[in-house]
Amino acid sequence: MDFKKGNMSLKRLLFILPALLIYLVFMVYPMVRSLIISLHKWDGLSPEMDFIGIKNYIDFFKDPVSYTVLKNNLLLMIVLLIVPVILGLVLAVALNKKLPGRIVYRTIYYSPYVLPMVAVGLIWSWIYDPMFGALNSILKSVGLGQYVQGWLGQPSTAFPAILVTIIWRSVGMPMLLFLAGLQDISPQLYESAEIDGANKFQQFIYITIPQLKQSFAIVISLLIVGSLKQAFGIVYAMTWGGPGRSTQILSVWMYFNTFLYEKAGYGSAIAWIMTIIAMLIIIPYIRIMTKNT
Amino acid sequence: MNNDRLEKILLYIFLTALLILWIAPFFIVILTALRTQNDLLTNGVFSIPENIIFDNILNAWNKGNMSTYYRNSIVLTLLKVPTGVIIASLVAFPLAKWKFKFKEPLFILFLIGLAVPIHVTLLPNTITLSKLNLLNTLPGLFFPYIAFGLPMQILILRGFFSTIPNAFLEAAYIDGASEFIVYRRIMLPLAKPAIAALVIMDFLATWNEFTMALIFIHSEQWKTVPLGLMGLQGQFSSNYPTVMAATLVAIIPVILIYILLQRFFVTGLGGGIKG
Repeated sequence: MDFKKGNMSLKRLLFILPALLIYLVFMVYPMVRSLIISLHKWDGLSPEMDFIGIKNYIDFFKDPVSYTVLKNNLLLMIVLLIVPVILGLVLAVALNKKLPGRIVYRTIYYSPYVLPMVAVGLIWSWIYDPMFGALNSILKSVGLGQYVQGWLGQPSTAFPAILVTIIWRSVGMPMLLFLAGLQDISPQLYESAEIDGANKFQQFIYITIPQLKQSFAIVISLLIVGSLKQAFGIVYAMTWGGPGRSTQILSVWMYFNTFLYEKAGYGSAIAWIMTIIAMLIIIPYIRIMTKNT
Repeated sequence: MNNDRLEKILLYIFLTALLILWIAPFFIVILTALRTQNDLLTNGVFSIPENIIFDNILNAWNKGNMSTYYRNSIVLTLLKVPTGVIIASLVAFPLAKWKFKFKEPLFILFLIGLAVPIHVTLLPNTITLSKLNLLNTLPGLFFPYIAFGLPMQILILRGFFSTIPNAFLEAAYIDGASEFIVYRRIMLPLAKPAIAALVIMDFLATWNEFTMALIFIHSEQWKTVPLGLMGLQGQFSSNYPTVMAATLVAIIPVILIYILLQRFFVTGLGGGIKG
């Protein structure tokens, strides 16, 4: 058949070129250029750049702020891998039953996931407001007035407060993906397990969990990559990395260095550290996707 | 007592408690946005508003410039979403159905984009856009947005196209149809569910995008909704009703689209997984 031949006419190239051109100019080229910038000392504006090899990367690992930043990113990733995964799975199993009203539940649990990050950040900043916020109002009205505090204004509570916000936003995503996975499990598996005398818990451990393997792979990679990329708007809107550097994360710290402190080389090195982490996580996922076909 | 019934009741209690936690922030936004600052500060967030007023919303819309941000976001979304999905579907067709050199590397090149944090491209793209005189313009957002939408869209569309039997295509080629006719008359119509899901997901992503807008747009007149909302918070910082009214205005389109079209969402996500 003609369409299986290997040659490429100009007409056929027109299918590929628009996507390829835009992708090369605005994605591939900037990545390479950013890697080059990261090997220089540069303010981001002046015509000269000093080549300094991997000094920016070494400086990053020498700077004590980097440890706060990495610790926060790691904490964010671990919390996201525990709370939304478990809660999402529990909700998916519950809502997979024929409960009346389950669509309403599903709709509401997922709804924060469609909001702009900045909106999520502003809504929760208002909830945590020290003077009039909803959280402190509730604490006062139930007699826990001694716990009233400026949640985002002190290092001890600011990052946990951000984590709660991100959990609220994220739970719906794994729930929806697990629900899709559950609907693909054949009911016969459960029927034969029932005949063999397996109880509900055993069925969950030996049938449900293994059958959801693919859903788990997708949920976990999306959450890990999301933990690197998506917290930007929330942290930017809620704390701007403060108080001090206590809620600083890689993406916001990269932005500060590149665009506010005129340390373009150093900021680019941070961006590349993020990229390398994300690549290491996503490559196994890409291999699964390409092997399937 | 019937064990099944007890289990069901406990399940409902758990689900409902969580539901209240999940929906409360939305109520807080509405309860704050529709009352006066005075009423809020004297009676607290959880009291019933003395009067339901829409002044804050008008304030956010006019003085807060929400009308300008809306115009920009609508124009950008209407142009970017269809263009991006069409460009992705054009390249997904060869990736699914043709044989050519570098097919596999090309697909992998696009997939790598799934992992790239936009942050790594921000500074180089600022330089490129300023050379093209596109910095601080809506077209300056249009091209990078397309580039970042492509990987997921290509992955999903290629998956859908692969499931279309080759026999359909062969029959068309025998009848003398060109590649474009096959794409337009066979591939696109059969991939409708995937395209609908992608359009909706891309609408949300475009409407919500903040990071690139923050770096590439500086003037008030070209700000998109999330960027404008952030600036508005600075301008009205302790006027909570106005900030929450602006937030409400900013999220209404995504909430409406989500509620009205959510069935496409589930199928779209599912289609993406099965690839």
